[in-house]
Amino acid sequence: MLDRPAPAIDLSIDALKANLQRLEGEWEAYQSTRDRDGIYGFLTAVFELVAVWAHEGTAVDYARWALWLRGHRSAVVSPEPFAAVIFCTADRKKADYRTRSKWSRVLRYAAEYKDLDEPLATYIKRKGGINRCAARFARRLGRSGRTEATETHRPLDRPFRQRTFLWCGGPQIR
Amino acid sequence: MTILMDEVLQEIVDQAYGAARLGRNGDSSDRDVISAKVLTELEVAGDAMRYLDRKGRIAWRVSPWLRDHLMDLQRDAEAEFEAEDI
Repeated sequence: MLDRPAPAIDLSIDALKANLQRLEGEWEAYQSTRDRDGIYGFLTAVFELVAVWAHEGTAVDYARWALWLRGHRSAVVSPEPFAAVIFCTADRKKADYRTRSKWSRVLRYAAEYKDLDEPLATYIKRKGGINRCAARFARRLGRSGRTEATETHRPLDRPFRQRTFLWCGGPQIR
Repeated sequence: MTILMDEVLQEIVDQAYGAARLGRNGDSSDRDVISAKVLTELEVAGDAMRYLDRKGRIAWRVSPWLRDHLMDLQRDAEAEFEAEDI
């Protein structure tokens, strides 16, 4: 009895709304601070949320639901989850398309290569900062680097990376 | 394997489990069922959140908002306690 798997707890629409509100709070906190590292709090919150979805194999579906909840009914069919969550929770007047795109690339890079026990901010700084990580993504996982990446790293070695890489599964939203 | 959660959430779940065992609320007394119900309610309220722990497992912890609120309460209680000593 003690060895039975932990029950999966479905994410309801209300829970998804609450999670998006929490991230909006993180965005507000970032906007209200003069700390140049303030962005890491927001990015960490986005990263953690999408990491859980990816682990459950529902990242794309929840990202689509998030867009839908925020009124973007004609959004793309398979949104990139990090970009979608940033789009839904950051003020688009303060963070333009290029900035949001850069952040999503950084988070995708971290999702592939960061160890689970290393804080996101520490990892990004260790890799040279946000801009450098975005460039690393382009080189290793972007359109031009995808062929090389499949030869040099093995995401299937680790469960989280495997699920991040395969983004799959159906929604359990009620 | 039970649902992984931090100490604060564990305390809340334990209280709900205790109440259920005493038959106060008519709910199931299965610990996992109660844990799932309580965590779902807390998540919707914005008081709890899921995260991946260091071993890549889904775990639960209090949200930053509730954590800050509880720390404020603790600071207030400690301040009151010190004032009483004087």
